[in-house]
Amino acid sequence: MDKIRRALLGQIAKLTAGAALVPLSSITSADINDQPPRREGDPERRYAMLIDLRACIGCQACTASCHIENEAPLGNFRTIVSQYEVEHEETGNTATFMLPRLCNHCENPPCVPVCPVQATFQREDGIVVVDNEACVGCAYCVQACPYDARFINEYTQTADKCTFCAHRLDVGLLPACVESCVGGARIIGDIRDPDSQISRMMKEHYGELMVLKPEMGTAPHVFYLGMDERFVSRPDAKPAIWDVRDQQGEEIGYEFSGH
Amino acid sequence: MNSAVIEVLAPRYGIAWYPWAVQYFFLIAISYSSLLLTVPGLLFGKKNYESLAKVALLVTVSCTLVGPVALLADLHQPLRFWHFYANLTPWSWMSIGSLLLPVYLILVVVYAWLAWRPAMQVQAQGEGWIAKLSGWVSLGQWCAPRWMLVVAGLGALVLSVGIMVYTGAEVAIVKARPLWNTYWLPVMFVLTGLVAAAGLVILINRLMTGNDQEVNEQSLKVIFVTMVLSALVAALWVSEGITGFSPSVEQAFASLQRNPEWRAVAIYGLLVGVALTLSAIAMLRRPGWIGRSWLAGLLAVHIGWTFRWMVLMEVQTVAKNTAGYYHYAIEAGSSGLMGIIGTFGLWLAALLIIDILVPWKKSLQASTH
Ligand code: SF4
Ligand code: SF4
Ligand code: SF4
Repeated sequence: MDKIRRALLGQIAKLTAGAALVPLSSITSADINDQPPRREGDPERRYAMLIDLRACIGCQACTASCHIENEAPLGNFRTIVSQYEVEHEETGNTATFMLPRLCNHCENPPCVPVCPVQATFQREDGIVVVDNEACVGCAYCVQACPYDARFINEYTQTADKCTFCAHRLDVGLLPACVESCVGGARIIGDIRDPDSQISRMMKEHYGELMVLKPEMGTAPHVFYLGMDERFVSRPDAKPAIWDVRDQQGEEIGYEFSGH
Repeated sequence: MNSAVIEVLAPRYGIAWYPWAVQYFFLIAISYSSLLLTVPGLLFGKKNYESLAKVALLVTVSCTLVGPVALLADLHQPLRFWHFYANLTPWSWMSIGSLLLPVYLILVVVYAWLAWRPAMQVQAQGEGWIAKLSGWVSLGQWCAPRWMLVVAGLGALVLSVGIMVYTGAEVAIVKARPLWNTYWLPVMFVLTGLVAAAGLVILINRLMTGNDQEVNEQSLKVIFVTMVLSALVAALWVSEGITGFSPSVEQAFASLQRNPEWRAVAIYGLLVGVALTLSAIAMLRRPGWIGRSWLAGLLAVHIGWTFRWMVLMEVQTVAKNTAGYYHYAIEAGSSGLMGIIGTFGLWLAALLIIDILVPWKKSLQASTH
């Protein structure tokens, strides 16, 4: 991607992060593929997450703790930290960039209106959840999410994704990934409460916050601090993963290449 | 700052729609397209299109019956299909489709039943179990007035437009996949559906009837016209991407940049498209060649199916977030190869059962009244 477009995208990413502070009154209308009314959850709150990339060391503690807490099948993740090696072409210096990814609990989530049985829905507090008793496993929502935040859970054969650990939030606990974060990089909270830590930090860093793929118009509610524009959308990077297989040829994991 | 970026860690994302989806989109497109091919001969009663209508009706019914089975199989929880009807969701294209599909299916079956009924009533006069069965299926010897056929046919046509719109829109609204997110996709589904349906009609005409030249000629004309239109649509789509008129097409191009496999696919598509169009012209112009139309028929079916395979399966391997492409190797199990073979097997079975039970080559109701 050329420089101008990249910068532009960075601007949009910032603007979109800013626009989210003005709460969109729930968009409800009857047109096909419009957002349906929200249901359940506390209408007084709006949960969001702020990820301070300056504090992320890429240890994947969140990945592991989320995996254990939410019993995701091997190979599927509700959150993962993308790791990039950035090499300066002239000096040859390298740096690493860590980017934790999870569901963005978008204000305009494209995964919701597509669901043919209303199994995926957005709560009044902004959290997007799946009722896996209702889900028919059509995977339409998996296609519709621009962030690859969803997958079909092979145990339940239904859609699965990050729920902001709603089961923990609802009883006053923090999400597993937040709890286990070594650097304290993940801050979750209610952005309708002006005194919450997330509200204070968002106010303090207003203008520096960015969201992922702003061009999709999803109004994500996971905000990144210390973000590099080049990673806002699909990065122009070379992949370097290798499958790790056991002796029977079954895939058991991945390994870095060239290390 | 110029820098090279390597993504050192990324999870592997599987595909979420399996080859079953390709089978459904293929069969249902052939279904509505060959329904259109029955219109002049059966609905308007034009004598010189009757042979075409006979073959096309058989194709329509067999594909309409088998398509929904493939759709059901693509659900990870197929036994929960009733949830579609317990939770009507008017804002979801897929939910709208789940309402249209059964009505469409019923109307197509009624339309075919009325068309085949006179011949079945004659068959019911004979001896043996097939005669007996024909008697039951035709529900007596009373004469169904022609308006019933016309109503069922028109109803099926109206619903078929609904099927065209919903199958197209369902995929085209997905912004997350720029390669799908274009108004041209639904149009392309219909056009390539017509190509494949005409091709299948030619094949059935070769294998099950006496390779009727009129049917070949009419189908080749359909192939020619729809191929020219497809080329036009493809050209428009490409120009939208090049000029940046459509940001989503531009993004689609960007997502495939520098990928040799996708370039090969584009070149292949161009080549087979040109080959089919030229052979359709050649066969129409050289009287001696029309008997070999089945070659064009094979190519046409191939194009219709492969287009859906590329659109629905290969596009899923284009990563949304991460670098590179996901690898998708078709599995041998029921979600992969067996699914593809199984659907075609089921379709063949449906075709043969109809062939045994229904005297579909006899006059249709269109001409008996
Ligand atoms: S990130 Fe994806 S799954 Fe999460 S709310 Fe947005 S569109 Fe839905
Ligand atoms: S997979 Fe489940 S949650 Fe997702 S769209 Fe289909 S029914 Fe809804
Ligand atoms: S909030 Fe819960 S589900 Fe979401 S990424 Fe963190 S641990 Fe996983």
